Amino acid sequence: MTLSSNSASSVVKAPEKKSSLKANQFWARVIFSISVLYFLIPLVATFYWSLRGKKDVLGFEAYKKLFADTNFLPAFSESIVNAIAAIFLSLLIIVPTAYWVTLRLPKLRPVVEFITLLPFVIPAIVLVFGLIRLYSRPPLLWTATYDSSRVLLVCVYAALSFPYMFRSVDNGLRAIDVRALTEAAQSLGANWVTILLRVIFPNLRTALLSGALLTFAIVIGELTIALYMAQHTLGPYMADLTRSKVYEPSAMAIVSFAITWAAMGIIQLVTGGQGQTTGGH
Amino acid sequence: MAYLTLSDVSKQFSDTFAVKDFNLDIEKGEFVSFLGPSGCGKTTTLRMVAGFEIPTTGQITLDGRDITNVPPNQRNVGMIFQSYALFPNMTVSQNIGFGLRVRKEGKSEINDRVQEMISLINLEQHAHKYPYQLSGGQQQRVSLARALAIRPEVLLLDEPLSALDAKIRVSLRAEIRAIQKRLGITAIFVTHDQEEALSISDRIVVMNAGEMEQVGTPFEIYNFPKTQFVANFVGSLNNADAEVVDPANGILAMDGVHFKTAEEDFANRRKGDKVKISIRPERFSFAAEPMKDNVVDCIIENITFLGSVVRIQISIGNTKFHMDTFNNPFLELPAIGAKDQVMCSKEAVLVLETA
Repeated sequence: MTLSSNSASSVVKAPEKKSSLKANQFWARVIFSISVLYFLIPLVATFYWSLRGKKDVLGFEAYKKLFADTNFLPAFSESIVNAIAAIFLSLLIIVPTAYWVTLRLPKLRPVVEFITLLPFVIPAIVLVFGLIRLYSRPPLLWTATYDSSRVLLVCVYAALSFPYMFRSVDNGLRAIDVRALTEAAQSLGANWVTILLRVIFPNLRTALLSGALLTFAIVIGELTIALYMAQHTLGPYMADLTRSKVYEPSAMAIVSFAITWAAMGIIQLVTGGQGQTTGGH
Repeated sequence: MAYLTLSDVSKQFSDTFAVKDFNLDIEKGEFVSFLGPSGCGKTTTLRMVAGFEIPTTGQITLDGRDITNVPPNQRNVGMIFQSYALFPNMTVSQNIGFGLRVRKEGKSEINDRVQEMISLINLEQHAHKYPYQLSGGQQQRVSLARALAIRPEVLLLDEPLSALDAKIRVSLRAEIRAIQKRLGITAIFVTHDQEEALSISDRIVVMNAGEMEQVGTPFEIYNFPKTQFVANFVGSLNNADAEVVDPANGILAMDGVHFKTAEEDFANRRKGDKVKISIRPERFSFAAEPMKDNVVDCIIENITFLGSVVRIQISIGNTKFHMDTFNNPFLELPAIGAKDQVMCSKEAVLVLETA
């Protein structure tokens, strides 16, 4: 009796389950489609607009004009150099710090985490006015020349990258047995520099790349700080472009998107879509 | 003078002594195991020899040099870790050659030494593989080769077999011992596995709560434990309360049943003293030879078949004991509940501490 009643109830429940599963799948597809449209429509519209550089003809006229503009490439290359410099500076500060915190000072982790989060807390406009006030008078006269301001800008960009860089590096360090690898290298005669360069850095490759590319993405189009520090980088150039041109800003936005996507693609390519590679299986 | 000496070495973390007044001399080529439960200080002692911990007090000398405060990368001490600690970004060959590259040795010398080490661990087919492509046993062999490649003065092994499965553990420990003997290298092996320590070591240091309980050969540690802790930790042991009856003749009583002991200082005890006696299960046998020192009546309580050994639970007086006997197809086991007689020699009755 019990068996037959159970069977009957399961027979009744099976189609119910199937229909609820189908309903779930339907709503999942609807939500996915809306999300895709939400992201794609502005992008497609921008791209379409960027192709209307010539009257009544779709083409890459706006892109041609953009790349032909004598101000574009210097601004673009200056932003790239700034980004690369900021990445190196950030790596130089964050990797040894995160490594040391993991290895020797784990109790300080919350403090370091809080410090690295400060760029999120302080708005860029507040940050740049603070910087100008502090570095525009002796003894820290760093805004006197264009080049010294640029150095200061790179330092600020490095600081802006801390939230991303620290978390990337910290995740990478958690994925490897830092203590055992360090001690193994020490017992084999390695000093701290050798350990960092030959053991820790190579095993954080993916984490470092993620942090570096995120930093790159932030720095490449940064406007507020660069503008107030009178730097001729891509951010201020884009702002100028928006004021004076019609189709080129859209072309610029698409180029910017392409650079970001290329950066994401590199992360996927290097990580194989699996995040940090680890050893010691 | 001994090759490696630890003199009055202590290590204190906050208010707790992880290691206290540790004294040990290790001769060149000797294989010494630190054996003890978790938290007994064995790994801390090993890490002090490696240089990863600095002793709070005491001195460590290696081949006559004081290395107490020498950084780990200047000690020339090889270390093997439980987690293998192979560099994930390097192949087997690169891992093994790492120490030599750090020492800036010549390229051809590095290649020769790496090949020699790979042959030593029989992993010629895997030289270009990365650690994640190897099994646990293979990874630990690479770790051994990497530590030996630098020709260390001492090889330190921190529970190197703990992460491996039982069969690999047995074969790898034999391999480690064979390589150690062949190279004549001084080795310290940390383990909490008594069987591992007994099977591999020239000497064993049994540790408990940061202190050294006993140092001796595996034979001495097993057969002549000096403390109740050592007797209990190494092998199985029956413990019982007893009372001294005749100190001069080594007679004591447990639940009214008389036992004779061969303990050296038993004569110094006084009649009526309460003591604890310990007898290993394999020292009991059924009383086929009535001339043995201790022949006592017992009741068979239970019989457990353990493969090569049969464990029989007996009660003598009101106390339950285990006795172990080797299994054989013709073994005639008594019935449960039957009355029988068991015996043991007077040397088997250990008096380890006063009750």
